[in-house]
Amino acid sequence: MLARKTRSALTIVGIIIGASIILAVESSSAGMSSGISAEVSKIGANVLTIRAGGAMFSSGSTSTYKLSSQDVPTLEAMSHVERVVPYYSDPVTVTVGGESISGTLIGIDPSALSYIYNGLSLAEGSFPTASDYTSAVVGDSIAHPTSSTVDLGLNQAVQMKISGVTSTNLAFLVKGILSPYGQALFNNIDQDVFISLQAAELYFKTPDYSGIYVIVDSANNIGTVQTAIKAAYGSDVSVMSSGSIASSISSITGSLSIYEEGIAAVSLFVAAIMTANTMFVTVMERTKEIGVLKAIGFRSREVLTMFLAECVLTGLVGGAGGTMLGYILAFVIGGGNSFGPPGGGSSGGSTPVFTTGWILFTLFFPVVISIGAGLYPAWRASRMNPISALKYE
Amino acid sequence: MIHSPESGESFTSTLVKASASHRAQNDDNRHRNAPSIEVADVTKVYNVGHAAYPALRNVSLKIERGEFVSIIGPSGSGKSTLLNIIGALDRPTSGRVKINGIDLKRLSDDQLARIRNRRIGFIYQSFNLISRLTVLQNVQMPLMPRKMSQREREDRSKQMLETVGLGRKLRKHPTELSGGEQQRVAIARALVTKPEIVIGDEPTGNLDTKTTHQVMDYMAKVNRSGITVVIVTHNPEVAQYTPRIISVRDGAIEKDQVVPKLDSF
Repeated sequence: MLARKTRSALTIVGIIIGASIILAVESSSAGMSSGISAEVSKIGANVLTIRAGGAMFSSGSTSTYKLSSQDVPTLEAMSHVERVVPYYSDPVTVTVGGESISGTLIGIDPSALSYIYNGLSLAEGSFPTASDYTSAVVGDSIAHPTSSTVDLGLNQAVQMKISGVTSTNLAFLVKGILSPYGQALFNNIDQDVFISLQAAELYFKTPDYSGIYVIVDSANNIGTVQTAIKAAYGSDVSVMSSGSIASSISSITGSLSIYEEGIAAVSLFVAAIMTANTMFVTVMERTKEIGVLKAIGFRSREVLTMFLAECVLTGLVGGAGGTMLGYILAFVIGGGNSFGPPGGGSSGGSTPVFTTGWILFTLFFPVVISIGAGLYPAWRASRMNPISALKYE
Repeated sequence: MIHSPESGESFTSTLVKASASHRAQNDDNRHRNAPSIEVADVTKVYNVGHAAYPALRNVSLKIERGEFVSIIGPSGSGKSTLLNIIGALDRPTSGRVKINGIDLKRLSDDQLARIRNRRIGFIYQSFNLISRLTVLQNVQMPLMPRKMSQREREDRSKQMLETVGLGRKLRKHPTELSGGEQQRVAIARALVTKPEIVIGDEPTGNLDTKTTHQVMDYMAKVNRSGITVVIVTHNPEVAQYTPRIISVRDGAIEKDQVVPKLDSF
């Protein structure tokens, strides 16, 4: 009796695990997709990002080409190009109130920022002018760091250190503070410090740009411009639109999620096998009982219904448990599934997205599996000869 | 419809009243005068590999409504086979079986199940209760295939259990009861459907002498209420309870005699 209860409990646990993994995987990848879309939409759909060297995600680029000011007119001359915005970018460690915060120093024409990042706005102050070498605009997390009790205000100095071959200490006057913005694909705006392009040229001590944004007149012409750039530069540069970044990430996370979905499918399959096994053993054990039921007048169909009803119950309990566990698990997986480029750039975590569809699936698919697994044993039970069943020990 | 016992009312009169009202509503009035059980020239052959083993050979008998019959014989005599065929649990290889005038040959398995459910109650040597269910649930089982409310089922079952003296043990499991108590639960289960026939396959086989007499007293009471009772036994003491004893040997009826009833044992 106890053995039977244990066996039923284990079967239900198996179903719960299988179902929960499905919900967790589907919801966390849905969360990631919407997370990606959200971050992708922050960079305008009509903006191309050009970086020197080969493909964005390969570990080493084969070309030694560097972008510099001579590329600006080349790009500006292309049709449908509205504006060319070069930039410098380097990771820095910012010190605020004695606490260190990792961030990124970006040198870019301040007036172009709002074209590139949708919805970016200043909370306080103003952008430095193009020729201003000493002022900066800082992101919300730099001005109001969570790790420090001290906040930065306007007209205060923001100090940072560029780590590299030699360390350079820099300080700028805070001229503006940005409103909270969040991630915009590999770039956490809240942890950025923006200075003018000329200032960056001076402090970074190199004429080579980290990259160039090309603003196209319309999102429809992105493809044309991309082709033109490819034709002009070949493999010396990599060109990305927010769409192609998103699809690269999607394909990576997609294969990740196929892997996870594979695990979920396998575990649900295993649960189904376990259920079938349990049902078989249960029917065997209850052979005598089935004989009694038939002797007292249960028809074959009624015996079948009785066993199938037990399957449905098992499935429902497993489905309900799986939904609850899956909900919790989705957050755990979501935390682990963060994405970012190799070699730097900040990564984004995501919150899972639960759709009614997947919740209902997780709730009721185990019922389908239970019935499927139990159908043959239940049918066998219903067909038992009562006399031989009664004699069974 | 459900007859609740009034205080002081005897077991017998409860059953008499209950089965009388049942029979009044029985729409099989045309079979009212038919014998309870009619077996005509029944043969049962089992095929074991290539050999054919005749368990019953051209057996015929008639049991009238309200009779109290035991079937005795050594093991292997075919008495259990005969009981299974009478009880609509098994089909003869040839011959005819009629229960209350209804020819079983023409009935499907499902219809036979219905006959068992409505007209026949079974009691077994090893009780055959379902140990994972409570006593009350066990007694309710024959009522499950019917369109009754759960309340009605429980009430009827409780009443039956009270009649057999187990009204206080409703929530217990069979394993918590003594052999005699378990058999009484089985009797309550057999009677809950208000059958016309009760069949017992060695019902006292697993009980001690005292309990054997207890159970047979019950069976006698059940019979006195008008129910046909057929018992298979190898115990001559048990057979003494019944006025009619049919002896079976080697698949055939050896003796079929009515013994004058004694008033006390």
